[in-house]
Amino acid sequence: MMTCKEVLESLSGYLDEDLKQEVVVEMKKHIGLCTDCRAEFDTLTMTIKLYRHFETPQMPADCHDRLVKVLELEKLKRTSDKE
Amino acid sequence: MTQAETDEQLVRKSQQDDERAFGELVSRYESKVYSLALKMVRNPEDAEDVLQDTFLRAYRGIKSFKGNSTFSTWIYRITANSALMRLRKRQLPTVSIDDADEREAPINIADWAPGPVEQMLNQETQAAMTEAIEALPPEFRQVFVLRDIEELSNAEVAEILDLSVAAVKSRLHRARLKVRNRLATYFTEPRTRRAMGAQ
Repeated sequence: MMTCKEVLESLSGYLDEDLKQEVVVEMKKHIGLCTDCRAEFDTLTMTIKLYRHFETPQMPADCHDRLVKVLELEKLKRTSDKE
Repeated sequence: MTQAETDEQLVRKSQQDDERAFGELVSRYESKVYSLALKMVRNPEDAEDVLQDTFLRAYRGIKSFKGNSTFSTWIYRITANSALMRLRKRQLPTVSIDDADEREAPINIADWAPGPVEQMLNQETQAAMTEAIEALPPEFRQVFVLRDIEELSNAEVAEILDLSVAAVKSRLHRARLKVRNRLATYFTEPRTRRAMGAQ
């Protein structure tokens, strides 16, 4: 059976379904029996779930206007450099 | 009906000094670039600086873009690099990604607030989540944001950050543990304080 250390090292891969089938079976078995590893698994799963729902504010409209101005200036600079 | 031009077509035209085409690429990606920048630098002013820096670099470098990757990967790479430089500049006491302060050893976390994610995501939790990201060393933060918030694949993150997939996986795992440990502190220790504050 896998040790707790081995399980913890493979938890991310397990959550991302990025492990070989035989390792997945071992992990499942261990997590089903070990309370500490179960807590590690549950909290890491919850952490990832929370961040998948993490909200980021939209870009403010004036941000676009300022970006356009910056690029316009760069364009002018490029044109004057060519002349 | 006119078919929208592909990124590839717009890039080709931009490389031939077609300003309208570059403007279209800006419109298509500015919100995504801003959003990624904000998730990395966690500050609207810095996010706007990253946005401007990213598109200035893209404008100056579009002719040398060879198309080995997609435009979106390329623009994300510029964004991630620009954000990283900004983070390094403002970083307080430097935390190396190799520092062993991670508390990666198993900790007892049996006391997280139960319930659906949507119910847990109140303002206070979001603030704790922001703090947890801010506490990550920049190189970990990049991987965590791209993988777990932007939900890109390991291979895409590796391409954007010019890392091996193995390096992405390793950084991601350590970043997740660091973030989880921070949140564990929030969900367990301050519970009494939070309850008192709510009265």
